[in-house]
Amino acid sequence: MASTAARTGQAPGKGASSRNSTIIYVSIGTALSILFLVPLVWAVLRSFMQPSDITAAPSARAFSHLTVANYSGLITGSIHILRYVGNSFLVAAGTAVLTAVLATLAGYGLGRTRFRFRGSNVVFALILVTLMVPFQAILTPLFLELSFLHLLDSRIGLVLFYSTFNLPFGVFVMRNSFMAAPTELEEAAYCEGAKVLTALRTVLLPLVMPGVATTMLYAFLFAWTEFLGALTFITNINRLTLPVALLNVETGTFGHVNFGFLIAGAVMAMVPCAVLYIALQRFYVTGITAGGIKG
Amino acid sequence: MTQETIETVTRERWARLGTAGSTRSKKRRTGIVRRPKTGMLFVAPAFIFVAVFVLFPLGFAVYMSLTNWPLIGSYHFNGVHNYAALGKDPGFIHSVLFTLLYTGIVTIPILVLGYGLAVLVRSNRRGSVFLRTAFFLPYVIGLPTLSYIVLLELQPNSGAVNWVLAKLHITNGATAWLVNTNLALAATCILVIWFASGLTMVLLLGAMQSISDDLYESAAVLGAKWWERERYVTLPLVRPTIALSLIISIIGSFLAFNQFFILTQGGPGTSTFTVVMWIYQTAFVQLHVGAAAAMSVVLVAVVGLISFVQFLLLRSNT
Repeated sequence: MASTAARTGQAPGKGASSRNSTIIYVSIGTALSILFLVPLVWAVLRSFMQPSDITAAPSARAFSHLTVANYSGLITGSIHILRYVGNSFLVAAGTAVLTAVLATLAGYGLGRTRFRFRGSNVVFALILVTLMVPFQAILTPLFLELSFLHLLDSRIGLVLFYSTFNLPFGVFVMRNSFMAAPTELEEAAYCEGAKVLTALRTVLLPLVMPGVATTMLYAFLFAWTEFLGALTFITNINRLTLPVALLNVETGTFGHVNFGFLIAGAVMAMVPCAVLYIALQRFYVTGITAGGIKG
Repeated sequence: MTQETIETVTRERWARLGTAGSTRSKKRRTGIVRRPKTGMLFVAPAFIFVAVFVLFPLGFAVYMSLTNWPLIGSYHFNGVHNYAALGKDPGFIHSVLFTLLYTGIVTIPILVLGYGLAVLVRSNRRGSVFLRTAFFLPYVIGLPTLSYIVLLELQPNSGAVNWVLAKLHITNGATAWLVNTNLALAATCILVIWFASGLTMVLLLGAMQSISDDLYESAAVLGAKWWERERYVTLPLVRPTIALSLIISIIGSFLAFNQFFILTQGGPGTSTFTVVMWIYQTAFVQLHVGAAAAMSVVLVAVVGLISFVQFLLLRSNT
């Protein structure tokens, strides 16, 4: 990163032109970041307003009596929002772990000369082809298949579905990670008589950990924010994930929409993603630039 | 074991293997023991998942599309009837046209804004990391959540969008955005541009940062102005990435669902139904699974074709 300043094509100019470009940078940057962030910050503020202020035109008065009523209502009321937060968390964490395990194994199998088998390139290509198959387009056969496997209305079914559609990216990242990791260490371990899985776990895993982190972060965020699959495969209200559960809040009970609940619920969906991303964005950006394949 | 010990051991082992390996293995590199079966075992779980949850349903979709499959009950083959009927399904045709219109509206603004953002944040100036985070954050938060937030702010007389427009004396603040096709489309497009331009920015940022500084210096020596450097150095070198981000963005638009489902439910009437929404409606509301499968197959083919072009571009790029 240290050298990016030199690589950016910014004028090495001095004096007036450099000052002008700084002024342009600061003013456009400030204006655009306000434009991008204000709706999000505003949503957080909104979620602390009283319901009567949320359905009235914004005013300064609304900020004088902020409240956590929307959150406490969502949590203790008939909606039981924490149940959906829990479902979303279970599904997202399960997806992250399963994707990481499958992708690490496959990445090791595909990223090492020692493991090459006839057709390994074809298998890799087939896994990557999954990227070109939009899950949105095969929901109907998937619905019937999951129904046949008794995995409809199941959080496990959702985890299996999400993990599969995260695999191409994960396998791609993990295969590259293993290809970039030196082979000497594991060869040594094998010569010491280590079993393959032991060598993978103790010697190699530390080396490819950034790849694992990238894979898990993508899988978690994918599952946390996914909507259409959860909408289709889950009908039992107790097993809904958060984004779909909010749809019930949007439709409201008896035609009455509680916008305070809706915005508080949206903030609850937004904050974990934002925090995870900001804390781990190093891994996120590596993923995008390495793959350039995530749509 | 510390790294040093491992390395020492490795070197010793290599020394010994050097002689042993050359006598044992005839065609392979010294010391590498081939274990193709282990490799297969490692790859098998991932491959089984892909086979069960992608390849099989894909084939199943093709099979179903050739039948009059209802969600429950028996079925019979009816050849390409479902495909022929697509042309006579006004709902499907409208959803295709609407999706194309929507794609046509958002694609260029996402690219232009994303390009501009990348130019703005590519240097390592103070605050550029913050700006990158800010511009990409909406993409990470995801369309469902953003749609709920926007839904609230589009409410007549109370939403912030209407409030701002009224304060600027553009409207009276009572606009019911989501019950008018054009207004709903406009609002959704702005939402999606906000959501997606960060992704284009990140893709282009990577490409711009990998351009050698020497090129800019040579251009500067030749007396090129900043816009000439942009035009003759940056633009040609990021062109493949522009194509890539265009394709990713177009595929994303073709598959649009969340934002319209949450904001308009396809309304008013069926005027804002996208293709994916229409497939969902046909399969799970009208229960015409065979017809929905035919639409799915067409959608997979179109997206696959676009992805194939992307693949060719990526390959010629590297």
